[in-house]
Amino acid sequence: MIAFSFRRRIVRSGGEAQGLVSPADWRRPRVKWGLGFAQTLLLVWLVVIGLGPILWLAKSAITPTQDTITHPMAFFPHGFAWSNVTQAWTDVDVGRYFWNTIVIAIGSWLSQILVATTAGFALSVLRPKYAKVITGLLLTTLFVPAVVLLVPLYVEIVHPPLVHHSFIDSYWAIWLPAGASAFNVVLITRFFDNLPREIFEAARIDGCGPFRLFVSIVLPMSRPILGVVSVFALLASWKDFLWPLLVLTDPNKQPLSVRLPTIQSQTELGVFLAAMFISCLVPIVGFLIFQRSFLRGGGLGGAIKG
Amino acid sequence: MAEIRFEGVSKVYSDGTRAVESLELTIGEGEFMVFVGPSGCGKTTALRMVAGLEEISGGAILIGDRVVNEISPKHRDVAMVFQNYALYPHMTVAENLAFGLKLRKHNKGEIDERVRAAAAALDLEDHLERKPRALSGGQRQRVALGRAIVREPAAFLMDEPLSNLDAALRVQTRAEILKLQKRLATTTIYVTHDQVEAMTMGDRIAVMKKGILQQIGTPEELYCRPANVFVATFIGSPSMSIVPGPMIGVGREGQLAGFRPEHIELGASDVPSVRFDAVVEVVEYLGDEQLVHLRLGDQALVAKLPVSATVQAGASESFAVPLASIALFDSASGEATAWSAAA
Repeated sequence: MIAFSFRRRIVRSGGEAQGLVSPADWRRPRVKWGLGFAQTLLLVWLVVIGLGPILWLAKSAITPTQDTITHPMAFFPHGFAWSNVTQAWTDVDVGRYFWNTIVIAIGSWLSQILVATTAGFALSVLRPKYAKVITGLLLTTLFVPAVVLLVPLYVEIVHPPLVHHSFIDSYWAIWLPAGASAFNVVLITRFFDNLPREIFEAARIDGCGPFRLFVSIVLPMSRPILGVVSVFALLASWKDFLWPLLVLTDPNKQPLSVRLPTIQSQTELGVFLAAMFISCLVPIVGFLIFQRSFLRGGGLGGAIKG
Repeated sequence: MAEIRFEGVSKVYSDGTRAVESLELTIGEGEFMVFVGPSGCGKTTALRMVAGLEEISGGAILIGDRVVNEISPKHRDVAMVFQNYALYPHMTVAENLAFGLKLRKHNKGEIDERVRAAAAALDLEDHLERKPRALSGGQRQRVALGRAIVREPAAFLMDEPLSNLDAALRVQTRAEILKLQKRLATTTIYVTHDQVEAMTMGDRIAVMKKGILQQIGTPEELYCRPANVFVATFIGSPSMSIVPGPMIGVGREGQLAGFRPEHIELGASDVPSVRFDAVVEVVEYLGDEQLVHLRLGDQALVAKLPVSATVQAGASESFAVPLASIALFDSASGEATAWSAAA
């Protein structure tokens, strides 16, 4: 049934067949039932693999611990345990760590977006004479494994140049290094490279200086790539464990990714799973919001003759 | 409205390519000047140097009495219409039109008034709240034009603005641009590779080849008194036929004779003419006239004959060209030596 409606939607939306199998082929019983069954099977398998663990976590978060241990795949044999969620929020103090994670993620995201867009704008649109050299240097940093940078980065954070004040136990210790992402700069530079130059030239003649060109023209045209970088930035920050563990020694400032493994041994399984589910919610909601950026093409409709 | 002057302007790219060579040209206030030439002739580069989008390697460009070599595009008081529209995709038509005025800090009432006036002039009133993606090609190009006229600049710079439109829309938009330019009397530089566009639109035309200005003049001057073989063959469609003079009995050795398709007559002529026999290769029937492709020795000629003239492909026919309609060119330099062989 799923496969059948899927096929019909494809044919209807475009007015003609979009897939490899033509409408005429779809009308043949062998194709209709054979391929339909295969599609249904594939879809079910993808749902089980992709959504299964999340759904199990959601179920277990509101299942009594005893039930989860004895009947892990059963559906609420002895009712719900909503207290897991409230306990996780109050007793385990997930709320605090949740907030810490949000602050860290938003700060890292802002830092990455600011650095990547301004650097990309400079390298791609303003194009100073040494742009190629800088782009080359940026690319070379992509070949350095992140783990190799841990020690020098830590030393920089403990003894930052100019500031002479350690950033240990401060969120700046996470926000500042997060901005130095060569991958984001390269990604955004390549996107900016593909924006039509004529639009920038039209804007310059209309009266735009570099700042106005960046804010009023380039950024609004770059929503798809900003969405992509935002998802990468938020997810990376949300699940980062090692760096926050190193630079945030105060438990009250640590994010969920650092605190959850620490509290595991002292927390009841049901409450712990509820805490884990809460920690998963934001990335899932964030992805649902930004996923349109992945699926939608560039916002250049009608800007230039294609 | 301002005069634009090129004083020995050159453009040399970093790889040594000489795009424009010592361009000397003055475009009068309110004049419609067309730069025409084949691809790579430097016409767009010359336009972009006026806009400030290309640095000038040598010489000076003056808009009004200001040398603008070192002035940024936004301070040159020019507006440009691009071949590919270059509309802001995230803004509505109204916002596209108003953007330049907002940046120049005009007050809201004046901006609204000017946007409405431009939209009315270009028949865009019903589309003001639409985004570019919701417009047709013709409408998008009209928005691009509107963005230029709404600013009331000293000069319009148009870079092949019609080349992306279909034939019918091109003719219609061409007329609209002409009407607008005449009404606003704004100095305009219009770049095109289409000599028909150049002939129908320009007050004067500058013909360029490989970065060098070949001739500048009114459409009639260029058509009737071309400075050299390049201009003679570039202007006019079908182009002027060029054959060695002695082949048809005019001029001397080392001279080329050029004549327009419409000057070739079938049979004898009533006026002093040269006569030659040529083989008819192809006849193109156009309804009101016919284009007859001829072979004269190893030379290909085109004649524009009335439909009443009966010619058959493959037949050898006798043709005449009035001496007064034959231009003579030096075969070595290509320069015109006489615009009439009758003298």
